[in-house]
Amino acid sequence: MKVGGMEQRLRREAAALLEQGKVDLIIGFADGSLKFTTSPLITSDKDDASRLVINPFIANNLSVFLTGVKGRVGIVAKGCDSRSIVSLLQDNKLAREDVFIIGVPCSGIIDLTKVENLVGRDRDEIDDIVRDGDKVTVTVAGKASEFAARDVLFDNCLACELPTPQEYDLLLGEPTPAADDESKAASQEKINRFKAMSPDERWQFWQNEFSRCIRCYACRNVCPACFCERCFVEEAEPTWVQPIPRWQDNLIFQITRNIHVAGRCTDCGECERACPVNIPLRSLSREMYDIVDGLFSYQAGRDKEAPPLLACYEATDVVDFIR
Amino acid sequence: MTTKKIKKEGIAKLLTEWGQEFTVFVPSREEGVAKWSEWDGKGSGFLDWYRNTVVPPKALFLPPMETMFSFQKEGDGYHTELPPAAEKGWLVFGIRPCDAKALAVLDMTFKDAYQDPYYLTNRQSGLLVGLVCTSPCDSCFCTSLGGGPDDMANVDLMLTQIGDQFLMEAVTDKGSKLMAKTKLAQAATKANETKAKKAKELARSKVTRKIAVDGISEKFRASFEDKDYWEGVSAKCISCGICTFLCPTCYCFNISDELLKKHGERFRSWDSCAFPLYTKMPMENPREEKWRRLRQKVCHKYEFYPYSFEVIACTGCGRCIRLCPVNWDITQVLSNLPDQEQVRLET
Repeated sequence: MKVGGMEQRLRREAAALLEQGKVDLIIGFADGSLKFTTSPLITSDKDDASRLVINPFIANNLSVFLTGVKGRVGIVAKGCDSRSIVSLLQDNKLAREDVFIIGVPCSGIIDLTKVENLVGRDRDEIDDIVRDGDKVTVTVAGKASEFAARDVLFDNCLACELPTPQEYDLLLGEPTPAADDESKAASQEKINRFKAMSPDERWQFWQNEFSRCIRCYACRNVCPACFCERCFVEEAEPTWVQPIPRWQDNLIFQITRNIHVAGRCTDCGECERACPVNIPLRSLSREMYDIVDGLFSYQAGRDKEAPPLLACYEATDVVDFIR
Repeated sequence: MTTKKIKKEGIAKLLTEWGQEFTVFVPSREEGVAKWSEWDGKGSGFLDWYRNTVVPPKALFLPPMETMFSFQKEGDGYHTELPPAAEKGWLVFGIRPCDAKALAVLDMTFKDAYQDPYYLTNRQSGLLVGLVCTSPCDSCFCTSLGGGPDDMANVDLMLTQIGDQFLMEAVTDKGSKLMAKTKLAQAATKANETKAKKAKELARSKVTRKIAVDGISEKFRASFEDKDYWEGVSAKCISCGICTFLCPTCYCFNISDELLKKHGERFRSWDSCAFPLYTKMPMENPREEKWRRLRQKVCHKYEFYPYSFEVIACTGCGRCIRLCPVNWDITQVLSNLPDQEQVRLET
């Protein structure tokens, strides 16, 4: 089904869900106030359903809002988002009957920074960006240039193995294919850059990156897996990290955050996308994702019946420290 | 007003010259993030990419973190030491009118009842050399707030790009003296001035985002308790610190001490009213709910600041719109503020 068809169906279904009282709220995407931007729409008004959109710019992982709202919620979810919802179910942060998942088979989200770099213009100076299958056409000052979709999608989309939600109440279109090997290789470029470094170089690399951090906590606040009601960075007794944005404290914050979301992170890429100072946070979170998969054959949000990785143990565990 | 002109390739020489007397700050870029750094003496390449910085120039005067003083335990007491003072005055080259205005807004707070030496020392010894904003962003709305891409009100010297050269206009005495001293600039012609005037008009016409601020204080007073409105507009906010930290007029800070054995430091660092912890007190938190925090942010700029200082503490730089991870747009929230008749209050 074409994106336009999905959008029409979404609007009909969302309006009906609200009208029939099947949900109290709809969480979806509306057009944003800037070019090529969408914005979360959280509404109980069925007339708002006509503002819902599906396009290659629906970047946010809306499941982050689920733990903060009351009532039964209809939520628009891409593959990674639906996995975050499943992960929340596993952690008992959410009851399955309280969420109506409107699944969107995803073809990847366009990374505007990659587009900007390719055309050498800022996003607001670009006239149009049109996705058509494997191609993306970017028009600047009336001149159109064509790029492979692979060159302009977010890295986490290039690595995505489950673009179609596995857990849903309604699926809006036909399943989309998982990333091929070429895409996966491209998705690793940034991560490989630092993996090739010696430990000393790597330490220097992250020191530089975290020197820019302003500790706005956008990475934490957009993350559905960061659901703690009180974050360790806000503890004053003891003070685990100082509230000042010193690179050492910034690094400790992010490393600890990564360990806390290990086995919960679905590689939705929101942390890196939200960062206003371009710290390559996904390089850490994806590495952790792969370590978790390698050690425990566990991928977050794939199985709602599975016990959450870091919140359970078994007597047969290889390491016996727990016994 | 005196005017001069300088070739674009002369800018680096000019900065070198000014560098003798001042510490010069210019826009710089690190991993795609534009901010302000001490000029590295390597040319004026920033002129080719610079529209505005992600990190506003307030970070020069109110840095994300700074040491207020250090202390050393000696016997029964402590010996304290202030950080070293800057050796030269500061010259900020290329500041945009919105950000220069923001510093004027910040000045009001930092030299009000309490004269804040940390902020004021470098601010008062310094000069602002402005650069007319010839390519404003689609998130900019400076013209709705009495400013504009060519607003000269808060700089000492203003530069306008005209082809491969810049027109220089002295605004203050400090700016006049600075301009008079250099031999790198020549007298400008009437034609240069006309060209600059046209460039400024064109720049103004490019700011298309508009809000109406007349009577906005009354609207705020009427809608302050309209929980439905504020809850509605804050629903998608994720309570991060981007819009406050990177706002050129937000100045809230935290103070913390760190003591390691006998040596310690007292730090000042940015804080944000978006964080629940900001107002947490032993018994209660008056802004526990997100909508109250968000209302605070908007009201501080558009209601409380005008009440205290007769100026809106927003310059329309648009950073909060373009950097927000969920595209929370202050211009929409202001435009949709309910009127007296539309306000829904719980009774």
